[in-house]
Amino acid sequence: MNISKVMRVAAREFASTAMTKGFIIGALVLPAVMAAIIPVVMVLAMKAQPPADTGTVYILDHSQEVTPIIEDRLAPESVKGRWIERFEDAADTVQSFMPGVGADAAQNSMEQATSNIKSPVFRIIPAGDDTNLDELKEELRKQVASDTELADENRKVLAIIEIDVDATKKINDDEGYGSYQAFFRPKLNEETIGEIKGGVRWSIRQKRYDNADLDRTMIAEINSIDARESKEITEEGERKAANGIATFAIPFVAMILLLMASMTGGQYLLTTTVEEKSNRVVEVLLSAVSPLELMTGKIIGQMGVGLSLLTVYNAVGIVALIAFSLGDLIDPQMILLIFVFFLLAYFMFASLMAAIGAAVNDLREAQSLMTPVMLMMIMPYIFFMPVIRAPNSLFSTVLSFIPPISPFIMIMRVSSTDAPPTWQVLLAIFVNMIGVVVFLWFAAKVFRVGLLMFGKPPNLRTLFKWIRMA
Amino acid sequence: MSNTDTLAVSMNGVRKTFGSKVAVEGIDLAIPEGSIYGFIGPNGAGKTTTIRMIMSILFPDHGELSVLGKKSAIESKDRIGYLPEERGIYKKMKVGAFLKHIGRLKGLDSRGLDLVVKGWLERVELEGVYKKKCEELSKGMQQKVQFIASVLHDPDLIILDEPFSGLDPVNMRLLRKLIDEEHTKGKTVIFSTHVMYQAEQLCDHIVMIHEGKKVLDDTLDDIRTRFDPRSLHIDPVGGLGMSDEIAKVAGVARVSAVENALEVILEKGIEPQDAMKTLLAAYPMNRIEIKKPTLEDVFIEIVTDGVRGLDAEQLRANLLAGSKLEEEGES
Repeated sequence: MNISKVMRVAAREFASTAMTKGFIIGALVLPAVMAAIIPVVMVLAMKAQPPADTGTVYILDHSQEVTPIIEDRLAPESVKGRWIERFEDAADTVQSFMPGVGADAAQNSMEQATSNIKSPVFRIIPAGDDTNLDELKEELRKQVASDTELADENRKVLAIIEIDVDATKKINDDEGYGSYQAFFRPKLNEETIGEIKGGVRWSIRQKRYDNADLDRTMIAEINSIDARESKEITEEGERKAANGIATFAIPFVAMILLLMASMTGGQYLLTTTVEEKSNRVVEVLLSAVSPLELMTGKIIGQMGVGLSLLTVYNAVGIVALIAFSLGDLIDPQMILLIFVFFLLAYFMFASLMAAIGAAVNDLREAQSLMTPVMLMMIMPYIFFMPVIRAPNSLFSTVLSFIPPISPFIMIMRVSSTDAPPTWQVLLAIFVNMIGVVVFLWFAAKVFRVGLLMFGKPPNLRTLFKWIRMA
Repeated sequence: MSNTDTLAVSMNGVRKTFGSKVAVEGIDLAIPEGSIYGFIGPNGAGKTTTIRMIMSILFPDHGELSVLGKKSAIESKDRIGYLPEERGIYKKMKVGAFLKHIGRLKGLDSRGLDLVVKGWLERVELEGVYKKKCEELSKGMQQKVQFIASVLHDPDLIILDEPFSGLDPVNMRLLRKLIDEEHTKGKTVIFSTHVMYQAEQLCDHIVMIHEGKKVLDDTLDDIRTRFDPRSLHIDPVGGLGMSDEIAKVAGVARVSAVENALEVILEKGIEPQDAMKTLLAAYPMNRIEIKKPTLEDVFIEIVTDGVRGLDAEQLRANLLAGSKLEEEGES
């Protein structure tokens, strides 16, 4: 094999794939931009506007004692007060997540948002006992049906609440409390619905405390427990405990990174091979290089593409973790393993792609042969939950030794909270290396025969025939 | 025959099958260095398969092969220039970059490659396309770029598979000139074509392939002498309607009308000179001449002799149309 020719092929392969605007934008700039806007999106999400609906809420209060509390609770100034409080909490959270990065920006936008709050106006009309629920419903139905703007916005019926007689005090001790029933105008703002329902429930609950002679403030104090950050005690000392999200997120992200990097390189390899074949440029190439040199060069070139993707994504990930002050989750050994398992997974996947690309006449024909490969690539997703729940179960252990999905499963196990013993990781690397050799051998055979075969697209059986031929 | 050292290509009993189909069978070849060889035969005859085996893109099932003194072309790839029949190009690549890529794959040093590429583009009258994308070129221009790709590295052996197809007459002449120049420089040139007159214009040696078998391997002059003219073209003063009378002349086998003349096919053993004398004695002529056999005639004679029930005219029509002969051949 002529190394300089192989590297020449690789260089062209890399340049024609990675040095294009489409690739740089699609694969590199987009993720970087997305990572950069995550904090912005978080801030924007908290900027959600409070409900600004105005209108009438009818309350048919059979208990005859909740209405005043509801009126108080849903009064414009008290609703506004609660929203401001929520914004301030959110601002605190953002700041605790991103000390330094974006904290000031978050604070600013928070202040801006709170000053802009438009409070909803609910006009509570207590309906007397003599008012029939059907009449109220009829009024709402008519308003909805007529679909015209009301002269007086306040007359717009938002909801009808019917509160049971026994909503706040039990009639017999052996039965439970009564409840309430809400009827809403269609397509009402979610926040408005939430505010109304929340207000009614809160009010009923307050009345129940009173009736049971319980002190409202005391209950609130009893219910509140300040959450303190959990810590993990390690050999080196204390550290922030991996929270629930991190235990799932890190293995998942590691697996997705591997999948994405190896699949992107592999997909490009398929495309360029099919292109060279359907362009008929392949015979020109074959007059200069051998099929094996051509395939090796192409695989190395796309490996470069995958590696650059992986490097960029890893860098983005590390920056993001540091920005969210989760920097202590970064494990250099883990990053090394991601690269090792990437290479193993990529070589197996790329071999299949090269073989398929050489075997077919155009991308459309590639689809049918791609199906089994795609199924294979979905497996890590399917096995994610069972593996991550029990990273060292027999099931997980066995899966992590079966190429070509082994690299994905192993990286999940390694990055889980309960990492497998080192010998297993090393064994998996060894098993995958054998897998790589087998896959490359298979690909080289198919590649050689397939490249100059035009006409009927092959099926799996013909592929195996070619292997015997080559 | 010359010894192996001075042979550019030699083949010995080479056979290649694809599944149940025999593409090439029992091909022997001895192509001396510095010669210009034409592979002719209709489409599907096995020319491309033979060429691909010389190029070591395909490998023979049986038989021996040597290229530039090596067991296979793989060992001397950089000394061979190859223009495949199915020629491709990287559409998105710039012409200059494409040629430089191929040049470097062919083992050229990247230093000075720029100038070599530009020089060649000038020679084929394609100045100014260096920075254009390949897909922006017309088909004819692309073909010239592909030709450059095959000779860029100054190879000793140049193999061109159907180099003229798709070219207009002006570019055809240009390409012929370039091929001739390479030949004059002492390079061995092998090219294939199904259009026989192109071979007649360029080659000094012809290899005819039909249905995977070599049916002729000789110099053009020898072929012309060997395939004795068996027909005359005449234009009797009495007009072209005289075919019946002429057919009765001794030694004439058959008369048929061709464009502006009558074609007189002679019986076996009759010397054309004698026949001309007899005919001139019998009728006054505006014109009488021995018809020079074209390669096409030679090909048809060989093929019709070998295969019974084959209609020569039908075959000729097929040949002109460039359509495949396989179906007729098998029946």
